[in-house]
Amino acid sequence: MKKFLSSVLIVVMMGITLMGCSLNEEPETQSQDSSENTETAQTENTGSEEIQELEGEITFWHSFTQGQRLDVIQKAADEFMQQNPKVNIIIETYSWGDFYTKWTTGLASGNIPDISTALPGHVVEMIDAEALMPLNDVVDAIGRNKFAEATLGEGTLDGNNYSVPLYSHAQVMWYRKDLLDEAGIEVPTTWDEFYEAAVKLTTDDVYGISVPTGSGDLMGTRFLNFYVRSGGGSLLTEDLKANLTSDLAIDGIKYWAKLYNETSPKDSVNYKVLDQANLFYQGKMAFDFNSGFHVGGIANNSPDLLDDISCAPIPKINANDPEYGIETSNIPIVLWKNTEYPEIAKAFIEYIYNEDIYIEFLESVPVGMLPAIAGIKDSEKYMENETIQQFADEVDVISEAVGKGTAIGFEHGPSVEAGLLASQSIIENMFQSILVGGVDVETAAQKAEDELNESFEMMQ
Amino acid sequence: MFVKKERNLTRWIFVLPALLVVGMLLIYPVFSSIYYSLTSKHLIKQSYSFIGFKNYIYVLQDSAFYVALLNSIKWTVLSLTGQILIGFSAALALHRVVKFKGIYRTLLIIPWAFPSIVIALSWKWILNGVYGYVPNLLFDLGLTTERLQFFSDANLVFMTLVFINVWFGAPMIMVNILSALQTIPKDQYEAAKIDGAKRWQSFVHITLPHIKIVVGLLVVLRTIWVFNNFDIIYLLTGGGPANLTTTLPIYAYNMGWGTKFLGRSSAVTILLLLFLLVVTGVYFTVIRKWEKEES
Amino acid sequence: MEKNKKTILGNFMCHIYLIFLTIIAGFPLVWIILSSVKETGELTSNPTSFWPKSFTLSNYIHVLNDLGFARNISNSILIALATTVIAITISAMAAYGIVRFFPKFGNLMSKALIMTYMFPPILLAIPYSLVMAKAGLVNTRLGLIIVYLSFSVPYAVWILVGFFKTVPIGIEEAARVDGANKFEVFIRIVLPLVAPGIVATAIYTFINVWNEFLYALILINSTDKMTVAVALKSLEGAEILVWGDMMAASALVVIPSVIFFSIIQKRIAGGLAEGSVK
Repeated sequence: MKKFLSSVLIVVMMGITLMGCSLNEEPETQSQDSSENTETAQTENTGSEEIQELEGEITFWHSFTQGQRLDVIQKAADEFMQQNPKVNIIIETYSWGDFYTKWTTGLASGNIPDISTALPGHVVEMIDAEALMPLNDVVDAIGRNKFAEATLGEGTLDGNNYSVPLYSHAQVMWYRKDLLDEAGIEVPTTWDEFYEAAVKLTTDDVYGISVPTGSGDLMGTRFLNFYVRSGGGSLLTEDLKANLTSDLAIDGIKYWAKLYNETSPKDSVNYKVLDQANLFYQGKMAFDFNSGFHVGGIANNSPDLLDDISCAPIPKINANDPEYGIETSNIPIVLWKNTEYPEIAKAFIEYIYNEDIYIEFLESVPVGMLPAIAGIKDSEKYMENETIQQFADEVDVISEAVGKGTAIGFEHGPSVEAGLLASQSIIENMFQSILVGGVDVETAAQKAEDELNESFEMMQ
Repeated sequence: MFVKKERNLTRWIFVLPALLVVGMLLIYPVFSSIYYSLTSKHLIKQSYSFIGFKNYIYVLQDSAFYVALLNSIKWTVLSLTGQILIGFSAALALHRVVKFKGIYRTLLIIPWAFPSIVIALSWKWILNGVYGYVPNLLFDLGLTTERLQFFSDANLVFMTLVFINVWFGAPMIMVNILSALQTIPKDQYEAAKIDGAKRWQSFVHITLPHIKIVVGLLVVLRTIWVFNNFDIIYLLTGGGPANLTTTLPIYAYNMGWGTKFLGRSSAVTILLLLFLLVVTGVYFTVIRKWEKEES
Repeated sequence: MEKNKKTILGNFMCHIYLIFLTIIAGFPLVWIILSSVKETGELTSNPTSFWPKSFTLSNYIHVLNDLGFARNISNSILIALATTVIAITISAMAAYGIVRFFPKFGNLMSKALIMTYMFPPILLAIPYSLVMAKAGLVNTRLGLIIVYLSFSVPYAVWILVGFFKTVPIGIEEAARVDGANKFEVFIRIVLPLVAPGIVATAIYTFINVWNEFLYALILINSTDKMTVAVALKSLEGAEILVWGDMMAASALVVIPSVIFFSIIQKRIAGGLAEGSVK
């Protein structure tokens, strides 16, 4: 026994030493020979990639966490590495929620990628934290005039393009054709009609609409923004203060509170985007608000429902109100300032926009991701996709919405305030305090507005 | 005698590694937290300045802090009471039965093998207010008039979390109390029986004193663990709805990563630590008293 | 006669109670396993049904092959094992040293260690990520192991001190007279005596590390270095919720631990009790 124990201890000690060696995998980028840096710097000067070979390792964080999208990106990286044998691209994926935690914490500790995808609201925060590198040359290389000016503008400050839009999508109203037909209800075009339809369609098994206000996500902000935007308002004032106490915003909060009480599962106060979508996939919800991603979600989870869903523009307050545009998301790629190999990163970003790769990427989530550059939508290859053909009408509805809307709070241009509006769950917490905590709407709205304004001031 | 003579440098070799680990890994972070708590540090802003006790003043004036503190205390007391009641009674029952003892024991410690993320995933689904098995079962059986909303009903949500925490924590208590029970010499009971003691009397006079210190230690350990616990609540409700389940660690997290006020968040964690020190200080005094009584 | 009846009734009640508890304790595991073999369509369209109508292992195959979950499991095992081994080695030495060589300071030292166990993990999260970044250890398994030591060591020392106190000094003195030095006494005489306590403490440490979530979330970025807890979380946050995958992955995490637990349960039982009662 004694011998046994002492030999165990010796093995243990040896184990520790060994582990110390094998586990110490420092990021290789940092231990690279510095001579490579000078070499690559020269590459940039010559401006031509064919003369000098690219060499180095870059990390790419993206949020395309599952399925085909992930595969397409991986394939693009593999091909790129084949063409540039001395380049290594490491791809890491995070859900959007984790990604936010990752890069904010990473920025504090210097642990961030070379390139990443981002939400438009994040980009402004990243620019504000001086974490990004301009991509003007990449935009020029792809073709500056191919991008819609407004789209490109979301990541532009002082003439520097800090982000390149990768794809676009917009929020629309999804509905179940079969349920509406059965009940003899027309597709609602105003919020009043929507309310009536949702209430009518709520049964023991199906909810008219779920009102999601889970913290750690932006769904509550998004729903409130639908209402406020449809009335031509904004959640931010012109001088970029939070605006939750305007008549329009108060009406909007009350509207969703009413729907929560009458047509929503009560658990929806905790729902994040996926919980909400999941309910629609399960056929438990008559309406939902989402982008074209719903098509892919339904196709994956409950293909039987695919023929029963369709979408329409988000309702308005009065039928004859003008179209103010609601919420468009242009998901971009950004280049982080700390990168050691900007030219590799830039070359790879350009590479993704090669027509073949780009279309394959978009069609990994057909209808969900609409092209962010001109000349793709009508191309033959793009139109070949069966899902895109089946949902041609829906694609039109979404495309039209894309053209009109902006990211949440971007009505007055991109701003850190707009980013903070959606990223801190303050509006979600406000909804929760009203729906569950019993706080009255005006008090809760005032409190949330103050909190938001305080956090805006901190960023000054 | 030789112990005294040789008390030289080698004795330090025994304790140094542990002191180093603790020193390097804990002293720096704690002092940096104390330092941050006195500054306007923001998670993603580069510049910050010294602002004295402003963060503490802010936190101590924030009504949400007291809500979180109260929740923390409720969470700890209720969870621990539940864990000990269930763990203790299960241990007593296990100690008594002869048949199937091994099977029960194996099955009863299953929850302990659940990482918090799996706890969250499985219970979130089982108790889901729309498609959860339990709410639907109760509804279909006619026991409830509508599907219970375990995670959003203001009257239910806190107790749901406590239940899950008891589910998770009771097995550890049970296992430890059971082994303490097994160390009690049988002849003490026999002797008591001969003296005509009733069952509850021998329970109070023999069983309880024997396991008192184990239970005491368990309570200290679990108090610290439950009080500091972040995962379970974060993964199940994130502190919501309407801060009904926000405990201090969640409150600190939301401040650090939600609104990104790292300075304030640090102030909260320092207050949290102070509170724990006081509570465990009291515990230790009590346990030391017990130990003295015993020897 | 009446007494006998009472005993039988009591035993019966005990069984009822234990069965009741067993059902609650085991239900989530049963649910996970049953759900993990259902087909996707069945999971979405009929989420409340209990018994699977279909049986498929495709969720498991997908999780292991396409999502590389085996890698995450081996990460978790590696990290938990390494932490346990290092922590127990350091802590056993420290606990012995405190008990034997520092009669006065010892109390103070163990108090200081216990105090560090109280530090809220959330308090340490940001400072750790800064320290690890400076040391170049962010996103490495070694970094995570080091961080885990910070809470494993105080806990283990605390528990082990109780065990070492039970070792009678007489045995050691005899060995010393025979000419053994301190380390020999420690390894050959003392360790075997407290072996049950060491094993129990090691198991506790292993479990705590295996279940840890917060630091793993903050410190590890690469999918291939993630522990199971974080890998599972990222499944939950994926764009398209696939319950089948999540349930299969959960089963892959829980079932081995349950088997491990049932094998070692007698040893865990030794745990605290022996160290503190004697």
